[in-house]
Amino acid sequence: MIEARRISKFFSVVNDDRTAEGFTALNSVSLRIESGSFVSLLGPSGCGKSTFLEILAGLQAPSDGQVWIDDKLVLEPLPATRKDMEEYRKKYRFLSPIANSLFRDNPKHDIAMIFQDYAVFPWMTARQNVLFTLKLRGVQKSEREGAAAHYLRLVGLTGSENKYPSQLSGGMRQRLALARALSVEPRIILMDEPFAAVDALTRERLQEDLLRLWQETKKTIVLVTHDVDEAVYLSDEVVVFSPLPGSIRNKVTVDIPRPRRRSSREIRVIKERLLAMYRFDTVHESDYSI
Amino acid sequence: MSVDSIIRDSATSRRGLRWWNLLVRELEVFIRASFGSVFSREFLTVLIPLLILWELLPRAGIVPQTLVPPPSAVITTFRDMVVDLNMLEHLKSSAIRFGAGFLLALVTAFPIGVLMGWNLFIRKHCLPLFQILAPVPPPAWVPITIILFGVGLPMQIFLIFLGVFYPILFNTYQGIKETDPRYLASARVFGASEFTLITRVYIWHALGSVIMGIKIGIALGLIMLVIAEMYGGRSGLGWLLLEAKEYFQIDRMVVCMVLLGFIGWFLIEIMKYIELKLAVWRIGR
Repeated sequence: MIEARRISKFFSVVNDDRTAEGFTALNSVSLRIESGSFVSLLGPSGCGKSTFLEILAGLQAPSDGQVWIDDKLVLEPLPATRKDMEEYRKKYRFLSPIANSLFRDNPKHDIAMIFQDYAVFPWMTARQNVLFTLKLRGVQKSEREGAAAHYLRLVGLTGSENKYPSQLSGGMRQRLALARALSVEPRIILMDEPFAAVDALTRERLQEDLLRLWQETKKTIVLVTHDVDEAVYLSDEVVVFSPLPGSIRNKVTVDIPRPRRRSSREIRVIKERLLAMYRFDTVHESDYSI
Repeated sequence: MSVDSIIRDSATSRRGLRWWNLLVRELEVFIRASFGSVFSREFLTVLIPLLILWELLPRAGIVPQTLVPPPSAVITTFRDMVVDLNMLEHLKSSAIRFGAGFLLALVTAFPIGVLMGWNLFIRKHCLPLFQILAPVPPPAWVPITIILFGVGLPMQIFLIFLGVFYPILFNTYQGIKETDPRYLASARVFGASEFTLITRVYIWHALGSVIMGIKIGIALGLIMLVIAEMYGGRSGLGWLLLEAKEYFQIDRMVVCMVLLGFIGWFLIEIMKYIELKLAVWRIGR
């Protein structure tokens, strides 16, 4: 179970005229994600949903609030005062707070993450990429080869094991990222707009594959997307983010039995509702800004 | 002879053969990549006329032959130098100096560059020092080095070290610092320790700029080799060059210059080959 308690994130940005300005990326976001569920975070670009996902993954420290994964704190929030900040800097002089440890490979939480632009290592072949993550999770050396072949087959990459990511198509690279994420057998998979960069036909196939894998393995999946169709079709619950400052505007439960049809009436109804909600937001934008 | 030993013999001989074949194939790749660009048809149409011009102009007396020795004279001089002046010994001593200085610079500059790129705390403490020291032109170090080390091998090695050190250091540091944070994030989520990040992500991402630094380092190192040998030493290519100047033997100077040029080119070609072998993944892009 993932529990985010009143997460806020502030940045300071420097304007063109050299004046500094505070920027609130996330404003007091609280969210509870049950184990085994498929949750989508939906919102327009720049509403802080990717930042929120990175905070969940422990790749950024929140300015305020805490994230608990299975009753373990992910990252302590950044200090608020200047004096505390100095101490914080001193404490994390050599190892930044997001680092695992100096020499021992060990993840802090049982998470895998898939990035929008894949982030598979271009200097390793597909097989080496998967072997690398298996090694990080401490799989025995003798078992790694077999496991890598298994996960590459699972996502349909058999035959391309020895290709470098630059030789793979966008869809295949995304499959490789998925294989890499599955290979460590995490309980939670965080996905940051995983299908944004592939063409529509490939996207549908990848979505089907993802659904199949989710139903087989029953992992918790948190999907960040700006595609309303994708969010409604895939997830149990859609969390709608709104920008300026990023916060949760609404939650919509999608209780349509699976397997779903993309063009079914129920899906269309929910989609209309979400779009109407979003349109209302943009029309009444001034009402929310202070 | 038992059957077992025959099988073993044939296995080892086959392995030996395979090893030999691999070496031959790699040599072929290297030679094709290096000499291939020089002896390509396009470049030969430029090179051959240039050589002919170089040969004809002094012979026709358009330029004085005493000042510009034609290539044929340079080749005979080269043969004479190998026989009379023990050229190979000079080459060997130059190679030892250069190799020692270069290796010393590589094993110090590379780790320091990696550490500075990796950690902000270390960077803030070390980088300004190198930024202040690096702009001092390496030849400016010659007088103080001669006083400190005396004339001899340590002084020469130190001067070459100075030439090679900074390009490798700064290029490594830049490459490591500019590592794409997405790759770091994706490795961190899977639990990579900082050491794993350095060995499996940072260094590979920085590989191109590290090799670039080494190439610049080779060029600067050769400059420092010549300077070091001119100022202190009784052997080496730089010393031969200076000797030739004393006796006004322009053909010998040209031989030394051509040799130095060839060595520099050859070393850079070796680096290109290493880059090709290490960065196979870049080819597809």
